[in-house]
Amino acid sequence: MAGRRTMIRWLCWLAAAAVLAVLVYNLADALRGGSAERPRVTVLVKSTETGMEFWGVLSDGVMEAAKEFDVEVNIIGPERETDVDQQIELMERTLAEKPDAVVLAATDFNRLVPYADRINEAGIPLITVDSALNSDAARSFIATDNIEAGSKVGRKMAELSGDRSKIAIISYVRGTASQMEREQGVRAVLEADPRFEIMETYYSDGDETKAFEIAKSLIRNHPDLSGIVGLNEPSTVGAGRAIRDMDAAGRVTLVGFDSSVDEVRLLEEGVMQATVVQRPFNMGYLAVKTAVEALRGEKVPARIDTGSVVVTKDNIYEEEHQKLLFPFVGMNGE
Amino acid sequence: MNMFRFKSIQSNIAAAFAVLILLTAVFMGVISYQLSAVAVRDTAKDFTGELVKQVNANIQSYVTNMENISLLVLSHRPVREYLSADAENDGSISEFFRTIMISRKDIASISAFGYEGQRFVSDRNDARLNPNVHATDQPWFREARAAEGRTVVSPPHVQPVFDDEYRWVVSLSREIRSADNTRGLGVLLVDLNFSVINDIVSQIELGKRGYVFIVNDEGSIVYHPQQQLIYSSLKTEAIDKVLSVQSGTFISDEAGQRKMYTVQDSEIGWKIVGVSYADELIGNRREMKLSFAALGVFSLFAAILLSVLLSRNLSKPIHQLHEHMKEVEKGNFNIQVPVDRTKEIGRLARTFNLMVFQIRELMGQVVKEQEFKRKSELNALQAQINPHFLYNTLDSIIWMAEEKKSDEVVLMTSALARLFRASLSKGKELVSIRTEIEHITNYLTIQKMRYRDKLDFQLEVDPAILSYVTLKVTLQPLVENAIYHGIKNKYGTGTIRISGEKYGDSILLHVADNGVGMDAGTLERLLAPARGGGYREGKGVGMTNVHERIRLYFGHEYGLTVASEPDIGTTVTVTIPLLLPEEAARKEAADGWQEGER
Repeated sequence: MAGRRTMIRWLCWLAAAAVLAVLVYNLADALRGGSAERPRVTVLVKSTETGMEFWGVLSDGVMEAAKEFDVEVNIIGPERETDVDQQIELMERTLAEKPDAVVLAATDFNRLVPYADRINEAGIPLITVDSALNSDAARSFIATDNIEAGSKVGRKMAELSGDRSKIAIISYVRGTASQMEREQGVRAVLEADPRFEIMETYYSDGDETKAFEIAKSLIRNHPDLSGIVGLNEPSTVGAGRAIRDMDAAGRVTLVGFDSSVDEVRLLEEGVMQATVVQRPFNMGYLAVKTAVEALRGEKVPARIDTGSVVVTKDNIYEEEHQKLLFPFVGMNGE
Repeated sequence: MNMFRFKSIQSNIAAAFAVLILLTAVFMGVISYQLSAVAVRDTAKDFTGELVKQVNANIQSYVTNMENISLLVLSHRPVREYLSADAENDGSISEFFRTIMISRKDIASISAFGYEGQRFVSDRNDARLNPNVHATDQPWFREARAAEGRTVVSPPHVQPVFDDEYRWVVSLSREIRSADNTRGLGVLLVDLNFSVINDIVSQIELGKRGYVFIVNDEGSIVYHPQQQLIYSSLKTEAIDKVLSVQSGTFISDEAGQRKMYTVQDSEIGWKIVGVSYADELIGNRREMKLSFAALGVFSLFAAILLSVLLSRNLSKPIHQLHEHMKEVEKGNFNIQVPVDRTKEIGRLARTFNLMVFQIRELMGQVVKEQEFKRKSELNALQAQINPHFLYNTLDSIIWMAEEKKSDEVVLMTSALARLFRASLSKGKELVSIRTEIEHITNYLTIQKMRYRDKLDFQLEVDPAILSYVTLKVTLQPLVENAIYHGIKNKYGTGTIRISGEKYGDSILLHVADNGVGMDAGTLERLLAPARGGGYREGKGVGMTNVHERIRLYFGHEYGLTVASEPDIGTTVTVTIPLLLPEEAARKEAADGWQEGER
């Protein structure tokens, strides 16, 4: 009798323990709401203008990586690529917000350096993308090897040109690292070739109309001009429109940079012979991926080349090039 | 000091239980974690499979739609007539195409391209063809022509044939054949907005990071959210494995990432593949682990608490038993251990109690036996008539006979005879005080005749006590002592005075002499019990025996007391209970009066 009563008492104890266990479990279950700590990464692009396909595609790459690596990203940037002051302002705001990592596409080679240094001093990993900075602040620089891209343009131009060629280069914003490197790559190839005479570099400031005017006056004033190199999309399209307007297609060879529907049309029309296309999606993706690796304390490469592709009229509709030339921007319901 | 070497049962049990409960909790935790992980994984697998099937069904329904549209167009005679140059385009075909497209936002365009005369008709009247791109060069055109009437579904691509459009579409193309089905007239193109498929696929959520991609039969990627990374070889998919399974699931390990591929074959030659991250399948892994850890910590506390309580409960009766055993060790057998509820300990306590009881019984028995033995010895000793006394008495009788004092001879001889008779007393130990007084009178008579003027005696016994009982031969050794040690050495006549009276519940018998007396030291040693069970020789032996016999018979509060002063005399007082012969007989028969007092 006594034994059974003791057993019942123990069973009561066990039941109480089980109930408490369930309570503890539920408590832990309830607590998990606040436990998900995703790293915050701020991505500072050069332009958030909806028409700018390059930055749109780069942002797609950022979002894709954000999903894969489970980070919270905040993509900000000035309206226009030339608005360095606004980017500086955004940089200061970012510093105040103290995200876990910063990805920066610098609008200016020098002016953003002090802010980049401050981010670095705050212990926040900084990754630069597309355009370099005149500083060691960044852990990694992810961009097209612009010298290599430039020399690809140079080689294509050399391939398309005849015996004696006079070449003009239309660049965009003076002082931007990427334009300097592209020009360097182009010149390195063409200047080594005795067939070429390279004129001075003209600056469109990234404005298509200005590039159009420059090209138009070049074609008009230099009848012996046999080729134009456009170092970015507006410069190239502006030059292409000028060639089309002046009926100079065939006389003036155009090799450009980047892609857009306008450039595709120029290629299809035969006004433009080739364009070197970058991989902004990969840039955005790799920038976030590298930022995450840096956050995890892994050693990241100081320089990642995302590569470039030469597209001509014949290979526009190749599977791989379609994605680069006709990005899905705006189709993801953003 | 090794803190894990427990000395007590309690700490041993506590530790054992704590470890046992904790181990059980941990074991159960791990098992249930594994089980729930498997369950969650299976659920995720089924769920992913369902989602991928759903994606396939959606895509399939769009493609079926396009096929239906193509069938509508093919059965429309004006289209054939126009393409075979039998009729001109009067806008009715475009009207017909538009009718089909009404409320179909997913269809980008319906167009027909003739093989001859560059005939072209589209749903839009104002549609212009891209002058720099020729429809005949497009893969969908060439493949449809080669397929001779069967439908061809292209991967997503940019449609360049329309001027200034460059839309992402999935194209369904099909050769339009003559009514007699002998020759091809042209190609029908139905373009589906790719955003439709993109939306279906990109909106599928497979956990936080999972995604869906599509490959065709040749293994080239039709759709992938990270297609550009794959082109740049920054990313690879297990496409070979995907192609080798018809439909189903497999796990792939790439660069330390376990991914689960769920493949679904589609009728249009695509494979829809859902990819989930294995570590994500158990989404709340961290929470589950946390919960189990909390459970573990709780179990630990519960285990410690329970085991302390349990072990205390277990060892408490043992402690209690131990305390009682210590009491027994000290000699206290009058204890009873409370019997515990626990069966084992209770049994132990009961047995212990029984044992203590038996020891007590045995000890009582031993004491009783010892007493009986001693009593018998003392009785035997007491019953003896000192041979010296007998010899001396007989010697005296001879002397008196020689001197012809026949009266005195008769007196002494009859006193001796009565003395013997009284000492026999039919073997009874208890006699009436009257008998005892008679006995001592006979004895004193003999001694007085022997010692003549040296000894005198007086009897002053209260007649009221004569009927009460006393041990036989109580007074004789005392008187003998008084004579031999008190009076014999005294100069002049010694007087022995025997008196008796009632004193409360007792009877006091006094033997007083006015002999040499004793000093305090001798007096003190006189009645001290003999050591080692031996008998003291000489002086006072008789007295000690009397004292002991009285105590054995009547109890420790009775016995002898001696008062003495040198040169004045000694008084020995015998204290015995007030007992009538009947009461005494009853008690003696019961043989148990000692028990009552112990």
